[in-house]
Amino acid sequence: MIAPGQASGFRLDGVSVRFGTTAALSDVNLHIEAGEAVALVGPSGAGKSTLLRLLNGTVRPTSGRVYVDGDALASLSRAGLKRTRAAIGFVHQDLSLVPNLRVVQNVMAGRLGRQGFLSSARSMLLPRQAEARRAYELLERVGIPEKLYARTDTLSGGQQQRVAVARALYQQPVALLADEPVSSVDPARARDTVELLTRISREEGLTLVMSIHNLELARECFPRLVGLRAGRLVFDESAGEVGEDEFHALYDLQEAEMLADGA
Amino acid sequence: MGPDRAPRRPFPLRTRGAVLLVLLGAAVWAFLYLDMSFAQLVPNEGGLEIAQGFFSSAVAPSSEVLGTAVRSLEATVIYAAAAMSVSLLLGLLLGFLASTAWWSGDPVGGRTLFGRTVAPVLYGVTRFVIGFMRSVHEVLWAMLFLAAFGITPISAVIAIAIPYGGTLAKIFSEMIDESDRGPARALRAAGASGLQVYFFGLVPRALPDMLAYAFYRFECALRSSAVLGFFGVATIGRDIELAFLTNRYGEVWTYIYVLMAVIVVFDVWSGHLRKRFVA
Repeated sequence: MIAPGQASGFRLDGVSVRFGTTAALSDVNLHIEAGEAVALVGPSGAGKSTLLRLLNGTVRPTSGRVYVDGDALASLSRAGLKRTRAAIGFVHQDLSLVPNLRVVQNVMAGRLGRQGFLSSARSMLLPRQAEARRAYELLERVGIPEKLYARTDTLSGGQQQRVAVARALYQQPVALLADEPVSSVDPARARDTVELLTRISREEGLTLVMSIHNLELARECFPRLVGLRAGRLVFDESAGEVGEDEFHALYDLQEAEMLADGA
Repeated sequence: MGPDRAPRRPFPLRTRGAVLLVLLGAAVWAFLYLDMSFAQLVPNEGGLEIAQGFFSSAVAPSSEVLGTAVRSLEATVIYAAAAMSVSLLLGLLLGFLASTAWWSGDPVGGRTLFGRTVAPVLYGVTRFVIGFMRSVHEVLWAMLFLAAFGITPISAVIAIAIPYGGTLAKIFSEMIDESDRGPARALRAAGASGLQVYFFGLVPRALPDMLAYAFYRFECALRSSAVLGFFGVATIGRDIELAFLTNRYGEVWTYIYVLMAVIVVFDVWSGHLRKRFVA
């Protein structure tokens, strides 16, 4: 049973996902321990996003089973699945913030899944002092406390990304999933963001799974790398073991394959 | 890639030309059907006199009726405000039922019975109802209500509120459904309910546009409220009609100018508000 304040692990047992006729993932077996930090690497279209979305139950496997904290997602009740989702923070590639709301409201939206409608309306419109303080503390942790009452769309891309992280943390998650969080920022900021996410997950004891196509960065910041290519798990090794061969296995695309991918 | 394998243009220029020709033909046909000719715009002798009198009074509005004009204008604004209040309530409520984004997305654990059956039916019924509300003009609703209930303030207000409520519901629901779904999906993924997604993920994004549109409709409501004066409702239209029938064109212009002034004021006000919300 998933519970706040306690990291949760993930397991994929022979999972395949098909969207229509395209196979997004084929027979993936993966075990992620509670509190682990894992980078999913691979070219675009390899199935990294699909894998992440399996972990919070927004994509269902065509075959195979997904376990979160020992519970098979498919066997959870609606309420159980809702609880599980509410306990998993997700930093989306496009951030998915409401641009014309204030930062504090975007952060507080993180806890909607744990609140009834009326209590969430109260939080969004008239946040209690304790709630505002909690949002402020999280913004402090991600480095933009002064932006608490700023309109979200007045922030830079990097700052908005921090708001998205703060929103995920406001969920009081047991795990953080991040889908290419650095694809839209410059290289220096990319490193900052990855380090921020790994540091916070470590400090809070959260499981962290991040998809990232910069292999260099992944190797430096994560102890464990999982390589995906064309929907298949190509390697699953500690950062030290990942060498040139694996790099080529991932990125040396044949020309024909690139055309087939529509890349 | 050889030229023989180049993709075909999906909507070739020749087709576009044909479509334009058909549209042009339709316009010409409409003119012919209505037997329109510019000669009809030359007024007869009496008409010319009326037109001259009317337009020359534009520079000489009557100052005597200014007090009456302001009082009637006040009534016009109050009628419009009352009608808009009812319309906004109708528009927000029916707009919610007529939008799909909050239930057709990716609810937790697939669609519920509500999402599969109740919500689409409610949506269809609501679309039909707001279509009906909009298809009858406020002047026709007014004729109906004034005949049924007499010239009372409530019948005038309801006559405006019905088509306006339907229009607001249609436009609001479309603005909400067309706003970026990214935040809604993110909130869904974190366990938020359809109602929460609607109010905190979708509506805030559409709110500036909804506000601007509501202001525009208020401007329209001012005109509608004035027009209902021609049916005897105590708005500025009644004064305009009376002055016009008794050939007091100077007074007509006074009423028109104060009506224009109030519409400009609302326009400036809505512009400021919009800037504050959008910028």
